[in-house]
Amino acid sequence: MPDAPPAHPDTALLIVGHGSTVNPDSGAPSLAHAAAIRKRGIFARVGCVFWKEEPSLRDWPFLFNDDSDIRQVCVVPNFISEGYFTRTVIPRELGLDPSAAVTHRVGTEQRWVYCPPVGNHPAMTDLLLQRAREVAPGVREEETSLLIVGHGTGLNDNSAVAAKRQAELLRERSRYAAVLSTYMEEPPLIADWATLTDTPNVVVVPFFISDGLHSYQDIPVLLGIETEPTASASERLRGGEVFAQNPRRLHGRSLYYASAIGTEAHFADIIVEQALGALAPAVATSA
Amino acid sequence: MKETFLIGQIIALASADGGCELRHRDDAGRPARELEPHADPEDAAALALYDDAGNYRPLKTAPNLRHGWRLALDGQEGLRLALELFYPARLGAWRVYQRGRLDTTPLRETLGRQTGMYRVTAKLTDEQADALVGRFCRSDGGCLRAIFWRRDRAGTVPSTRLPPEKFDPACDQTTGKTLAEDDVPLICQEACNLLVAEVRAVVKGERPAGE
Repeated sequence: MPDAPPAHPDTALLIVGHGSTVNPDSGAPSLAHAAAIRKRGIFARVGCVFWKEEPSLRDWPFLFNDDSDIRQVCVVPNFISEGYFTRTVIPRELGLDPSAAVTHRVGTEQRWVYCPPVGNHPAMTDLLLQRAREVAPGVREEETSLLIVGHGTGLNDNSAVAAKRQAELLRERSRYAAVLSTYMEEPPLIADWATLTDTPNVVVVPFFISDGLHSYQDIPVLLGIETEPTASASERLRGGEVFAQNPRRLHGRSLYYASAIGTEAHFADIIVEQALGALAPAVATSA
Repeated sequence: MKETFLIGQIIALASADGGCELRHRDDAGRPARELEPHADPEDAAALALYDDAGNYRPLKTAPNLRHGWRLALDGQEGLRLALELFYPARLGAWRVYQRGRLDTTPLRETLGRQTGMYRVTAKLTDEQADALVGRFCRSDGGCLRAIFWRRDRAGTVPSTRLPPEKFDPACDQTTGKTLAEDDVPLICQEACNLLVAEVRAVVKGERPAGE
């Protein structure tokens, strides 16, 4: 990471999360990253909005409207893929100009800068590799398949691209016997992990923002390490036990399952960089 | 300590040192030693996350804020952040309302805008809407916001099953009494995502609309 960036007293940071109406772990990383960034004093304000929690994306007119010193708002989607949410839902619900990176708000005269999602950041490849090594320390990588799991959806063709790109980048490093992108809802399906791989060891890293419904409850069932969805991570008092039993012996292999990549504290740095990176060209243009 | 204002289930008390202390309003008269002390406004996020029984609170304006804590704050910025975490965007909504610039969105428009798995919510019937809003949004056990949105552009009341006070920002949704001048009502300008998710369950037959 570079040195701490300079303070931006006229700029607010808005982190957009998915959130959940049933699972407290879904929005937790966005809230934790927001609190961590607030303590650094980089932005005048740091807030979150959610698709399924409060404040809602639709609450945007009520954010940052009491401080006339705030002239711009950086909107950073805490989402992995550039897909249905970043292209359709977030711009629609936030009332952002779909054809421009900057939206000028009538009334507050603020400029809202729509930044790339965190999943686009170049540090993702190293973070995925780091997670894979942490969950399976000491395994022989040449005898190991690394599976990156994304959501995948029929709603947007781009949803699967982020995991596919990371798998390609990880393959280029020639460390693992095989690196594959897999998905919950479109082929290649993570449920088929045993037939997709032929190595003695298989490491699975969820390319997800939180240990919420998908990575903590759905994917373990698809992998066969749970027979039915368990309680949420925070509801299970022995928290993290889904990840504490590595490796599991299934189909004659050693299966290692990691927690979601977005729970990594380093994501706070990535959020800041996505915001300041999008701001830099805008500042240069107006100078 | 002197009461300064109420917002939802929270009371703000003026402390002797010029600062402010937030508590659950039911705890206003309890000795400080009986309450779990907090002094970081960021603690509000954790205090707002679960109810007294330890259940997740997805709707922050539901009348199930946990008891037994006090949060000491020494400046306006800390107070603003804490209230933002307890009742997200509600101070801002009240501010916009006071300026006469609050835009509201009818339920039919909110449902008609949905895509993906929520597109089906547009099929909610008027009868289902009346029963569902009457059940889901009621102040007694549902949500403490005062509703400003209508069912449709024609101005149909969201639910005939809710009392007139539910649509009155001057009414304390907790007690039914009139709020004081400095109190902050919780404004509802548009059906929330929890209601939209509940509409989906009703339309798909997973849950009855009413009681």
